Amino acid sequence: INHIVHNGGLYKRPFNEAFEETPMLVAVLTYVGYGVLTLFGYLRDFMRQWKIEKCQNATEREEQKDFVPLYQDFENFYNRNLYMRIRDSWNRPICSVPGAKVDMMERVSHDYNWTFTYTGRVIKDIINMGSYNYLGFAQNAGTCQEAAAKVLSQYGAGVCSTRQEMGNLDKHEELEKLVARFLGVESAMAYGMGFATNSMNIPALVGKGCLILSDELNHASLVLGARLSGATIRIFKHNNMQSLEKLLKDAIVHGQPRTRRPWKKILILVEGIYSMEGSIVRLPEVIALKKKYKSYLYLDEAHSIGALGPTGRGVVEYFGLNPEDVDVMMGTFTKSFGAAGGYIGGKKELIDYLRTYSHSAVYATSMSPPVVEQIITSMKCIMGEDGTTVGKARVQQLAENTRYFRRRLKEMGFIIYGNEDSPVVPLMLYMPAKIGAFGREMLKRNIGVVVVGFPATPIIESRARFCLSAAHTKEMLDTALKEINEVGDLLQLKYSRHRLVPLLDRPFDETTYEETED
Amino acid sequence: MNVGVAHSEVNPNTRVMNSRGIWLAYIISVGVLHIVLLSIPFFSIPVVWTLTNVIHNLVMYLLLHTVKGTPFETPDQGKDRLLTHWEQIDYGTQCTSSRKFLSISPVVLYLLTSFYTKYDPAHFVINTASLLSVLLPKLPQFHGVRVFGINKY
Repeated sequence: INHIVHNGGLYKRPFNEAFEETPMLVAVLTYVGYGVLTLFGYLRDFMRQWKIEKCQNATEREEQKDFVPLYQDFENFYNRNLYMRIRDSWNRPICSVPGAKVDMMERVSHDYNWTFTYTGRVIKDIINMGSYNYLGFAQNAGTCQEAAAKVLSQYGAGVCSTRQEMGNLDKHEELEKLVARFLGVESAMAYGMGFATNSMNIPALVGKGCLILSDELNHASLVLGARLSGATIRIFKHNNMQSLEKLLKDAIVHGQPRTRRPWKKILILVEGIYSMEGSIVRLPEVIALKKKYKSYLYLDEAHSIGALGPTGRGVVEYFGLNPEDVDVMMGTFTKSFGAAGGYIGGKKELIDYLRTYSHSAVYATSMSPPVVEQIITSMKCIMGEDGTTVGKARVQQLAENTRYFRRRLKEMGFIIYGNEDSPVVPLMLYMPAKIGAFGREMLKRNIGVVVVGFPATPIIESRARFCLSAAHTKEMLDTALKEINEVGDLLQLKYSRHRLVPLLDRPFDETTYEETED
Repeated sequence: MNVGVAHSEVNPNTRVMNSRGIWLAYIISVGVLHIVLLSIPFFSIPVVWTLTNVIHNLVMYLLLHTVKGTPFETPDQGKDRLLTHWEQIDYGTQCTSSRKFLSISPVVLYLLTSFYTKYDPAHFVINTASLLSVLLPKLPQFHGVRVFGINKY
């Protein structure tokens, strides 16, 4: 039974999240798999060193062998012995717009993935389960494209300047007002790159003497921004409110590490949807904690904006909360709006401060006008202001697709992580060989998926990640499900024993070992 | 494989020994080694047990205390490049549960071996030397210590 949290009325709808535990046999076999791969890796390295096998890796020239080594052999071990063997599942070249269906250039390798050659054939109409195309705006025809083309001919392709110098167009102002209205906040600011939005603005908000409490599985941009800021970082277990509350209590009671002074600011960094787990943040509880301990909340809605909520306004609307409770609402335009860039929304004083002090505003080029127009058109479409109901239909289609897909996969017996309503669906593969096999088999059946393994995930939890889209019709999903079923039988991926671990019973222990305590 | 990567876990190697099922996999692999050695016809039982103990300690020493760094690139700018896997476990925190497990298992194997070799003096010397070679590097005082500069870089 999924553990449904009600928590004293904080949640207005059931919160179904489950991470089924790895079956023990599968775990042991996974380690055996990695052990065998490591042994063979050492054997191949030995053969390469003794010139029995040709070494395709980068090596120094003969004259340089006496100097300090240029390449660290051991750090490349994983890359050349494990990653190279299944490298054809990543970086696949596509040659059409990555909508619900995509065309891919076929490539073969004659030397076990060290080099690729194109056969010249184009594999057409591959069902695309890998793009973050949640609302299906990755199109090259339609109103968004026409508007963007008009703006391109009017404003040109780039602004060639930062926001503070000459790069502030009226389009940017229009976009920012629209974003603020969309989110329900006072003011917003848009930046050219989603990663840069996080990494350049967190240092502007916190500094030395502040405390950042960030989730275990936060994205690289948040981690980089937190490190660049110079604040003390403490990590709480993923989506675990007891862990967060304990850290908050300890921080307030003990203060800064050596001087015991009170912290200048406590900032909680969470994401709306975590793309590797498919879990949704427990926002009502986080906001309750934030209010109780008087700290600030930074919500990164990279994946959840446009994808959650009855009208697509993100995770705040999904839970029925007040956007003013979240101090800094950040998001990206890459996933649901089919454009590029990021935004930060919040109170007017905050955004005015960021306009002056943010690194992105001062040094980075502002957004390109056609991209801005794409965002404006797609956002208006989602809000329904362009006069059609296309936006609302898309949001509903995405929710239906999500629920249908997850339900069918669970019924088939796969282990699926994450929340019932998240459009990111990780399907557990566990064993290293199945990573490559799954990617290749799905491509043979004309479905493109993204597979992830160690070290991006914990060592036994390699997975295939499906990203659903409003552009997927039910027929496409049925085809995909049929193929996934076949591949699941072929590779024996149906591990689920339908014994789901209720979330609150997941043991929360004191063992959080951090690398440095500043 | 680095899809959407670099969360706050800078060195995944530190968590490997805590993952689900790895202790069981370790015990099973020692068991398999023992059975393989037992099936060789011209080894007597004491010899098999001593061989199990010695090979287990040798492999443990090689994997945990000789090999340094990580087999993949980590985002921590090479802080762990000079540390052996034992030193990397749990970011250097001493006396965690995996460390305790990995310290106790050679001792348990040693006790079993001494029993099955009937406390024969020659076997005793070999087994004790082997046990010491694998227990000493695990002491907290030996964290980061490189005796005589061996294996320093």
